[in-house]
Amino acid sequence: MESQAISMKGNLDEQHDLSRARAAPAPTVSRETRGQTVGELRSQSARMRCTGVNVFYGEKHAVKNVNIDLGNNEVLAMIGPSGCGKTTFLRCLNRMNDTVSGCRVTGEIVMDGKDINARGVDVVPLRAQVSMVFQKPNPFPKSIWENVAFGPRIHGLAQNKVELDEIVVNSLQRAGLWNEVKDRLHEPGTGLSGGQQQRLCIARSIAVHPEVILMDEPCSALDPIATARIEELIDELRENYTICIVTHSMQQAARVSQRTAYFHLGDLIEVGDTKQIFTRPQHQLTEDYITGRFG
Amino acid sequence: MSNAAATSAAGGGAARRHVDIVMAGMARRRAAERRFRLYGRIAIGVGLFFLVVLFGSIVSNGYSAFWQTELRLDVKLDASQIDPQGGRDPAILGRADYGGIIKHRLREMFPEVHGRRDRIALYGLVSNGAAFELRARVLANPSLIGQTVSLWVPADDDVDMLMKGKIKRAGPEKDRRLKDNQLRWIDQLKADGRLEKRFNVNFFTRGDSRDPELAGIWGAAVGSFYTLIVTLLLSFPLGVAAAVYLEEFAPRNRWTDLIEVNINNLAAVPSIVFGLLGLAVFINFFGLPRSAPVVGGLVLTLMTLPTIIIASRAALKSVPPSIREAALGVGASPMQAMIYHVLPLAMPGMLTGTIIGMAQALGETAPLLMIGMVAFIADIPRGAFDPATVLPVQIYLWADSPERAYVERTSAAIMVLLAFLIAMNLFAVMMRKRFERRW
Repeated sequence: MESQAISMKGNLDEQHDLSRARAAPAPTVSRETRGQTVGELRSQSARMRCTGVNVFYGEKHAVKNVNIDLGNNEVLAMIGPSGCGKTTFLRCLNRMNDTVSGCRVTGEIVMDGKDINARGVDVVPLRAQVSMVFQKPNPFPKSIWENVAFGPRIHGLAQNKVELDEIVVNSLQRAGLWNEVKDRLHEPGTGLSGGQQQRLCIARSIAVHPEVILMDEPCSALDPIATARIEELIDELRENYTICIVTHSMQQAARVSQRTAYFHLGDLIEVGDTKQIFTRPQHQLTEDYITGRFG
Repeated sequence: MSNAAATSAAGGGAARRHVDIVMAGMARRRAAERRFRLYGRIAIGVGLFFLVVLFGSIVSNGYSAFWQTELRLDVKLDASQIDPQGGRDPAILGRADYGGIIKHRLREMFPEVHGRRDRIALYGLVSNGAAFELRARVLANPSLIGQTVSLWVPADDDVDMLMKGKIKRAGPEKDRRLKDNQLRWIDQLKADGRLEKRFNVNFFTRGDSRDPELAGIWGAAVGSFYTLIVTLLLSFPLGVAAAVYLEEFAPRNRWTDLIEVNINNLAAVPSIVFGLLGLAVFINFFGLPRSAPVVGGLVLTLMTLPTIIIASRAALKSVPPSIREAALGVGASPMQAMIYHVLPLAMPGMLTGTIIGMAQALGETAPLLMIGMVAFIADIPRGAFDPATVLPVQIYLWADSPERAYVERTSAAIMVLLAFLIAMNLFAVMMRKRFERRW
């Protein structure tokens, strides 16, 4: 019910918006449209539901009143020009912004009926549940095995070495890296190629059996072949996980995601079915961005 | 000329190509670069020159201290004199008059010497330590009693200086340390092959002494060792813990800023102030023993802590944040991210800082003067609570002593201290190379 009401409201705003945007096609968001997103904000089966999320870096209002759902077994792509707040928003979802001094997050992010920003929520189990893959591959300067085993070991997911080995092998297999590294598990993870390192980081994330995987431009440092391999992997992982990916490549968003969100200067402008966003965007800004007029 | 180029470029436009303007300035730029390189070489050259002068003067002054003139005596160990009861009881053996045996032997070697004054001059050729060496020899091996043993004993420091050419034979007799008759005896001993320079074992095995020929560096080296052990055990864990807390866990606010400023201030406090603090707090208030390495270690800990904290914080800062994020991203607690990932990467830098701090502590004199480590201590310390002195203070003490033979010993002690410092710094470099990891 609620989600429908919001999408109705969104639709109304969108018409109002479109006329304004067409009249003034400059890529700025007018004051009145702030925080009023067009499209399908809510999902049928939401894994995480964000309501009125704002992020401030000191005085700077980096993310403005974002409302969005992350659906189960769905890849949500977040696109938008640099500095539009998509990475900042992604980092709210497992509270990585806690580590940034001067950063303040308001609003509600509900998962399993609980607000993850609430007082007393422990970030350690949260991050085991919502794990993150970063823009630059960042394996630990330790062996491949150690890289993957670290998470399960600190969380006590394995009773003994055999179980731990099993988790490591399984994770590497699911990350599609097993065949390439099975003979050199005890060599440093930093000796792998960029694409392999990123898959190692993905293996490290899935080794703790998270429910949501956040990916921050995971392919921006990779060549097209490694990118294709990771996109394939994302598609496979969707079976079991909820994935949220930030990307600068619209082709990538179109290929891997089911839903796409477009951010602009801290505002979430439009959310919707990926096909619809790329073929029939409702908002002028979205259209300008995906057709390459700016950004 | 460059003026003309500028005006023509500005006014004429097409008259000169830009590359010509660039070329016109090239000679000046190259000259500036060459000049700068020259300044660098001059600076390094001057530095190296002074280093060579420093090391050269120390080594040329000090190398002779590693040899000591010794005198060969064939001593008859008469059982009736040493062990009248024949029980070989160490208590009785220890009480025998070994000095008398040596004097007796000297009188035998120079039967022409008569009169009390001349005999004292003759006995003066041999070090006071000779009797102790003979005693130690007999106690270690009582079966020598009854035999005649050939024994090298240290000669007096004046004889040693004469043999090394550091004091002159010329000049009026009353101004000389060695009188005419002594010089005659020395020449005779030398002709007999009974006087020669041998490796100075005493210098490396004994503690301080009032007699230069018996003075050694070992007591001070052991004192330095205990002092540094105490310093290391206290300052490394404290320094690293403080750095980790301040860098990784402490909130950034006015208090932590204040702490940071004060740590930097502490690094600049003159070391003698730490000595006064140690005297007031550790000795007068807590009642710890005076002159003990434990107090020296505590004082040097206070002095080294800021160095270690600053170096450790720099090492922690240089660990890329991506490593922390990676660990946090899979759900590590800040503590786990720290211990498993950040600390191992920061360790080489921390160790380097610690060893540099230790090297600084090893060379420190002033604060230790304040807590009584400047006392004359002849015994080798057997623990951190025994009275002791340290290498730099030993150098200070010897440099202050009037005997000519302490001059070379001072330089030799400096060489030992420098060897320790160089070894520690090499160790720091090796540790850094060994633990350094790329990411």
